[in-house]
Amino acid sequence: MKNLFQTTGKIAPVLLLLLFGSALTARAQGPKLQMDQLDFLANKASETVDVKLDERLMQTTARFFSGKDDAEIKEVLKGIKGIYVKSFTFEKEGEYSQAEVDSVVSQLHGSTWSKILSVKSRKDGDNVEVYLNMVGEQITGLAVLSIEPREFTVVNIVGPIDLEKLSKLEGQFGVPDLGIEQDKTKKK
Amino acid sequence: MKTKLTTAGLVSALLLCAAPAHVLAHGDGFNDAVKIIEQFYHVKHQSIPLLARAGMTAARTAARIKGGEYKRLAEAGSVRVAFFEDQDFNSRGQIATFKASMQATFAGTWSPLVQTLAPRNEEQTYIYVRDAADKFHVLVVTIERHEATVVQATVAPDILAQLMKDPGEMGKALTEDATINDN
Repeated sequence: MKNLFQTTGKIAPVLLLLLFGSALTARAQGPKLQMDQLDFLANKASETVDVKLDERLMQTTARFFSGKDDAEIKEVLKGIKGIYVKSFTFEKEGEYSQAEVDSVVSQLHGSTWSKILSVKSRKDGDNVEVYLNMVGEQITGLAVLSIEPREFTVVNIVGPIDLEKLSKLEGQFGVPDLGIEQDKTKKK
Repeated sequence: MKTKLTTAGLVSALLLCAAPAHVLAHGDGFNDAVKIIEQFYHVKHQSIPLLARAGMTAARTAARIKGGEYKRLAEAGSVRVAFFEDQDFNSRGQIATFKASMQATFAGTWSPLVQTLAPRNEEQTYIYVRDAADKFHVLVVTIERHEATVVQATVAPDILAQLMKDPGEMGKALTEDATINDN
């Protein structure tokens, strides 16, 4: 029994990692990403921003965008079930690893996620990746990864959202200004 | 036998560790936030009258966010404020641990809206929201190197909707609104 306990103790971390990996992979089928595993980066980052606007809050408050100025934003937010943003800024390069990036990217390898190839950032040097979650012809979510030597940002929007709507949300509702634009010279 | 005892010990330790957060989670959000700050940073809050903050620039910020004439954001009589002034808020590299304590305490009862951390300057902002019948309770915790503020206020849904447009400014606007002098 003791041997069994000791053996189990030794392999427990490996099992936990496997379980965690499986959980992330399982979540990959849905439009909402698991991002809490990135929270420890807050100790290394010079600045951390974490925004969570969940479905209940979005739907409850969306009704109150009634003014003339709010008509467009109300339309953009229609059907949106959540906006989740995590952004880490570092003073030096190399303070976060590929493993942290992979913990998010691995969730985007599911069959419902696809990377949009025809996207670039207006900002020089920005490495921005945009993924869409689709069920049939319906867009059910979007993920944006901005991977810079000193900055790592993940934006996850759940609901019917496209690049045009995303650009209207930039700078609002916690969505940072990513400078995303569609490259019309490339095809998906 | 030894294995059973070890397992029982581990389970007991886990339960004991989990207990404080669980107990706090059933308490009042405002008092819980004050208590967490006091316990983590070994500081004490002060009961400073709101009028002491008469010179703050709340009106300008709030009016800018609302895009017009200044109007109070919080419902009358709903504001609770705790100040920590001239004290040392040094997380000693454990700012993420403090954040985790906040998350554990408010999980399930409050929805986290915005959390910003800048460890080098010891700056943190936490905004939580929960239902309050047809309105919302908003809890704002702002910590800087030498001072902190905890504000809880009730806001109408239309006000919250406007504030959500710029979550980064929401904490500042509500804190200034809560500490403005009406006179």
